[in-house]
Amino acid sequence: MSVADYAARNRVRIGAAVGLLAGAALLAALLDLPVAAIVTVGFVERTLQAATPIALAAVGGLYAEKSGVFNIGLEGFMIFGAANAGAVAWLSGGGSPTQLDLWVGILAAVLLSLAYGAIFAALTIRYEADQIVAGLAVWFVGLGFGPFTAVVLWGNRNSPRLASVADLTVPVLSELPVVGPVLFDTSPLVALAALAVGISWVVLYRTRYGYWLRAAGENPEALDTAGVSVARVRYGAVIFSAAMAGLAGAVLLAHAGSFTGTGDTMVNGRGWIGIVAYLFGNYNPIGAGAAAVLFGGLDMLQIQFQTAGIEVPNRLVNLFPYAAVVVVLTVWGSTRMPAAVGEPYESEE
Amino acid sequence: MTDPDAGGGRRLDRAADRMLGASAVQRLLIATASTVLALVVGLVVVAAAGYDPATFLVNVFEGSFGDATAVAQTLRSTTLFVLTGVAVAVAFRAGVFNIGVQGQFVVGGFATVVSILWLAPLAPENAVGGAALLVCGALAAVVAGGLYGALPGVLKAYADANEIITTIMLNFIAIGVVGWLVDGPFRGEGQRAPNTARIPEHVGLPRLVFDVPDFSVVGLAVALVAVGAIAVVMERTRLGYDMITSGHQEAAAAFSGVDAKRTIVATMTLSGMVAGVAGAVFAVMIQGYYSDPSGIGTYGFDAIAVSLLAANNPLGVVPAGLLFGGLDAAGRHIGIYSDVPVQLIDGVVGLVVLFVAAPELFRMAARRTGLGGEDR
Repeated sequence: MSVADYAARNRVRIGAAVGLLAGAALLAALLDLPVAAIVTVGFVERTLQAATPIALAAVGGLYAEKSGVFNIGLEGFMIFGAANAGAVAWLSGGGSPTQLDLWVGILAAVLLSLAYGAIFAALTIRYEADQIVAGLAVWFVGLGFGPFTAVVLWGNRNSPRLASVADLTVPVLSELPVVGPVLFDTSPLVALAALAVGISWVVLYRTRYGYWLRAAGENPEALDTAGVSVARVRYGAVIFSAAMAGLAGAVLLAHAGSFTGTGDTMVNGRGWIGIVAYLFGNYNPIGAGAAAVLFGGLDMLQIQFQTAGIEVPNRLVNLFPYAAVVVVLTVWGSTRMPAAVGEPYESEE
Repeated sequence: MTDPDAGGGRRLDRAADRMLGASAVQRLLIATASTVLALVVGLVVVAAAGYDPATFLVNVFEGSFGDATAVAQTLRSTTLFVLTGVAVAVAFRAGVFNIGVQGQFVVGGFATVVSILWLAPLAPENAVGGAALLVCGALAAVVAGGLYGALPGVLKAYADANEIITTIMLNFIAIGVVGWLVDGPFRGEGQRAPNTARIPEHVGLPRLVFDVPDFSVVGLAVALVAVGAIAVVMERTRLGYDMITSGHQEAAAAFSGVDAKRTIVATMTLSGMVAGVAGAVFAVMIQGYYSDPSGIGTYGFDAIAVSLLAANNPLGVVPAGLLFGGLDAAGRHIGIYSDVPVQLIDGVVGLVVLFVAAPELFRMAARRTGLGGEDR
């Protein structure tokens, strides 16, 4: 599918997104909101940073579901990613992690997520576990063992200040107005996520593996007949999705600079929002990335409202992304899922 | 795919087939094996984190059944797990994934406290007035919980919005909004913490058998009555029949004239109503006021594990609730008397769910080791 095809097929969706933005602008004008104070360069930068973990998790979940396994455990894998990245960075830095330790932590979190993903894949593919229940279980296990790790290491569900990833400043280009600070003087993880979104689009729609992946979800019998192991394709996709969610959690930690394990932990629903992002993006990595930016923006509105002096209780503004998810699902609920999602496939041989 | 919902429906059919295919004994074995395996993994983690697993086990038993106080603590949590577990079981049995019991529980409990506070000046200050207020509070919880459950039901039935995700989002929204309400508009006078005012002294469940402040046998009785009522509704009424058939055999249900959309809404409403009762019991029996719901415990989530362990059977929820009540009480005991982080208990609960989700794991293990396990 080319970008033009995608745009043509999703005219309603894209039209709705544009309409939403126009409506927001109109509302702002009518209510006389200080738009200039809300939509600042800083807001755009923060939006992209907030969108990064959501986009990464969304791309992972999208791959798993395209292959026929609904990885509803993204939220749980993200919690593990954040906790492990923080723990490894802290241990590697002997209590005061440097930038290098932080990157070691991110890498370790991804590697550990590969292992968790392999276990989850075995349970759902080989042992035919109910995908929804097993995915929920991953969330519960994460909610338990993520904070557990924190208490073991730091004696508290929240970590002390660790380190947040340093901005990558590109000389000269970062001097450009608007584009400079947003793209060339920001967290390198934002660029990494953008790259991941682009590459996963190419792999999904332009390579043989992407073709197999889509076939595993749509018509596993045909793929099996063509001599490709459905289970193997699905294992790959599920393990990849866990690794991406782990990376998403690690990125969340690297942006925040410390681990929060109280309540629903620092992940706080972002994995679930990731699932909605790829549904909203109609299983297209680029669409999912765009939806992630939308949710990231809603997540960051609170700071803008504060600086613009608009009196809305924080606690309520923080609920915007969740409310948006419900609205999105209600209006675009009937997404066309891959046909074989949720079905364990047993080869006839 | 022509029917966008068929994926979910078929998936549930399969799960149901597998569960129905399993005999009661097999189900019991799977539940036991899942729990034991999860506890073993928990013990390994305890040992790996540098604590003594034997001491940990002793603490678990002391905290759950060690003495009268421990038993009261276990039954206190059991009461809530049975009620929330039944709420989940109603929905899961009907093929609707209500993950929003926590939110419905919060909304129901808050409605109870607010309605009792509002009506208290109108009722006489004696036992009769107290009982009347309790009934009003419980009704408010049932209505509020039912409506909050009906909302995602309507969204699923008429707009195809995936109920798993909407109910999770509605949990966040319930916790956030009620958290804001108890901090602002409904904050009790002179309350330092974000809490509502206390409900009057004469409004509460009597202390019978166990003389502890946060458990009453009456609460447990309410839970058991709810179990009985739901079991009757599910097994003996037209509504229950419609719910179970549309959960297990969508096509057959449609053929026999069941309105699938209305059944979904009815299921979610009923599930939310039971969750509301759980919220009311929590608010009256344990708290006596309402606090920030982000810190009240995750009964509505753990209820999912309770229900799954019971194979979504309302009667099975009682022993499963007792097990989780024991684990919960043990967790609180460990939090006070041991330095093992209590979060471990949450992790073990998650593992129980994970293993329950994969009965095939145990069947294969049973076949492999030759311990029975006939072919499927």
